[in-house]
Amino acid sequence: MLETHPDLTSSVIFGLGWLYFLLFLMNAGWTVRAYKLDLENKFLSGISGSHIPSAAVWAFYSFLMLMTSIAHFTGSASPGSFLIRMPEIAKSGIDWFANPVRYFVLSIGLFVGVVWFRKQLVKPTVAWSILNVAILFLGLSMTDYDFRLIVGKPDNVPIVGMLFILGFFTWLYFKRAVDNDQRIKDGRPLFEQEKNDKILVWPDLVYSELICMVALTAFLVLWGIALQAPLEEPANAAATPNPSKAPWYFLGLQEMLVYFDPWLAGVVLPSLILVGLAVIPYIDFNKRGNGYYSYEERKFAVLTFLFGFLPLWVAMIVLGTFLRGPNWNIFGIYEYWDVHKLEAANNKNLSDFFWLYWPTGDLLGGMPKYDPQGSAANMFAMILLREWLGIVLILGYFMVSPIIMALTVFRKFYVKMGFIRYMIMANLLLWMAALPIKMVLRWTVSLKYIVAIPEYFFNI
Amino acid sequence: MADEKKKLSTADILAQARAQAAGGDDGGAESSQEDQPQESAAAPESSPSEAPKSTSDILAAARAQAKGGEESAKPSGGDAPKGTSDILAAARAQAAGGDKPAGGGAAPKSTSDILAAARAQAGKGGDSGGASAPAAKKPAAKAKKEVPVGDLPPVKDMVEAMKSGKTTEEVKGGPAKPRIPTKPPKSPKPAAKAPEGGSRRNALLAFLLAPFAMAWTFVGVVGGLGTLYVARFMMPNVLVEPPSKFKIGPPTDYGFGTVATKWKAQYGVWVVNTEYNGRKMIYALISVCTHLGCTPNWLGGEQKFKCPCHGSGFYITGINFEGPAPRPLERAGIALGSDGMLEVDKSVKFQEELGQWNDPASFVEV
Repeated sequence: MLETHPDLTSSVIFGLGWLYFLLFLMNAGWTVRAYKLDLENKFLSGISGSHIPSAAVWAFYSFLMLMTSIAHFTGSASPGSFLIRMPEIAKSGIDWFANPVRYFVLSIGLFVGVVWFRKQLVKPTVAWSILNVAILFLGLSMTDYDFRLIVGKPDNVPIVGMLFILGFFTWLYFKRAVDNDQRIKDGRPLFEQEKNDKILVWPDLVYSELICMVALTAFLVLWGIALQAPLEEPANAAATPNPSKAPWYFLGLQEMLVYFDPWLAGVVLPSLILVGLAVIPYIDFNKRGNGYYSYEERKFAVLTFLFGFLPLWVAMIVLGTFLRGPNWNIFGIYEYWDVHKLEAANNKNLSDFFWLYWPTGDLLGGMPKYDPQGSAANMFAMILLREWLGIVLILGYFMVSPIIMALTVFRKFYVKMGFIRYMIMANLLLWMAALPIKMVLRWTVSLKYIVAIPEYFFNI
Repeated sequence: MADEKKKLSTADILAQARAQAAGGDDGGAESSQEDQPQESAAAPESSPSEAPKSTSDILAAARAQAKGGEESAKPSGGDAPKGTSDILAAARAQAAGGDKPAGGGAAPKSTSDILAAARAQAGKGGDSGGASAPAAKKPAAKAKKEVPVGDLPPVKDMVEAMKSGKTTEEVKGGPAKPRIPTKPPKSPKPAAKAPEGGSRRNALLAFLLAPFAMAWTFVGVVGGLGTLYVARFMMPNVLVEPPSKFKIGPPTDYGFGTVATKWKAQYGVWVVNTEYNGRKMIYALISVCTHLGCTPNWLGGEQKFKCPCHGSGFYITGINFEGPAPRPLERAGIALGSDGMLEVDKSVKFQEELGQWNDPASFVEV
């Protein structure tokens, strides 16, 4: 039987062989490290009652990877009967998350989990295991045709790389911060003070930079040769590619545009992101954590930033890159991009709900209408009447909630920051929160716009 | 008067102040406070024409005034101070001259005094230059007719001044500037007595300003030409875009309940034959998403237009129902021609939210 979209081909198996061989090499090195440090695997030692060195476990795992690699190299001749592939049940399980609500909850959950279990995550063995799992997941997923199609696009390769780099730097931050937090708790000097191994700019730094520069240039040249630029046919105003995706770094913005009006998601929110990042030094009154890594001393700043960056920006990029398919529907990473996939969505504005659907709709008997040929004042008044609930809600959100926050959760902040700085911070926070709020409203109650005035291109 | 005072640069003012200081040594005592009312009285007639036109004029006038101070206690052709600052400056200048007859002009107290005095003198000097001609009113009137050049571009003046400023006699005796009435009556006498240093400074100043004058002239010319070119660019000879009015065949080409996508690539419209508000009609929907301007696709199976950019969806009627699109698709104008052909007019648009879909030009009933 000839498969047009085979999950496995000889070249894929062969390539994966190299991936597993790389895993073998990596873990062989890790085994050596564990052997030299004479680590003990406490879990297995506890079960067996005897001393089981960690190196033995890693050696076994490395051997497994080597065998897997050899199996790939030797089994590439008959891809149809090759057995090492992502099981279908796992695929459908992961595809189950291809739903905005589940995906968003998952990303928030991951974020909370990383912060919550930071002390465990920063342990080298744990981090190494997670890295292994991630690479194994990627390798196994590559046995799926649709996944390969998405991830293998030259556009998307850097995003996969970015995810690994991002994980590393987040891990590095938490490692240093957890270390310093412990030092502060114990009254020991900070890592930055104790391990202050200052080196000279010349030659140490300059040489390092030179080497990095050469290596990076070589890497980029190789990349440019290996992966062709994803050029498409000449632009045509009448034919928009389906799906039509922004450059990967703007996919977060494109995702925002699904929930907001263009002027809001395309102009106001990006400006606020930039302005908000720029004003951080001015509204930050916490003098601690300056010049060294720390989580405990800068909880608010770290959590706010990471929340805005990881679930609201990076997760949106991942969503836009890997999950958004034709017609901007959401597809699982192993799911075929069916142009005719049907997603029931009938979005309504808040004014529709109020005037037509809720119990108030029966009472009031329909939307306030105006005569389009009538006077502008009448039209304006009727629009205001139609949208009054949304306008009140929006005004309340931005004007009343800062006061409530100042009286409750941000009481100390308000005292320390003063009125103006507090209001700026509160408004920036509210704007940031507006994105997930609007997303959740869209997903749960199919709310399109809270204030919908298409007559004046004003929709919130 | 206030206008040409604005033209004074600091360097000019200082130069004048020095000139005035020199004059004050000789005859500062002669300028008394009685001058003031007369100057005011004479102002209306004399001021319009006698305004010094350029920096070099002002400088010359200042120098002339320096001389004039020696000769005439009554520079009769003075002008009325226009603004508070002028009055103050004049008062200060007068105070300096009047209170300390001998030394007031020579030893001003501060920089601001110098500046104030210089400004006052510049004004007075300019006028007194013209007024020292025998009959102040008549020449002024004549000058008005002869010289409608009060609005000469300063740049030109400056260049002229730069050229003429090379020799003292030219600046003073002015064959270069016969049109400016402040000069000729004054020039013979003061020119002879004018300090050599003053004219050198004048020449140097004009020389230094010349590059700026030329540069701004250049910028002005290039900018003007550029603007003209842009204006020309906006009116191309040939418009490479489809005509806004085009025929799409007879209504029978479009069966009921169908969306014709054949005009989308060429003209960017779908032709729809369906029922809307209980009436069977053909209308043309413009294939631009009302969210962010992408081109949606017609999905026959789902009976909807679906945008590939952010997932907006529209019914066959063009009404938005899913995704972020805030309003329905727009209709183009459509009409049944006398030849039985449908003609679409994309230059007019009909928006549902503005109630324009009831316009008979937005559909053809079948």
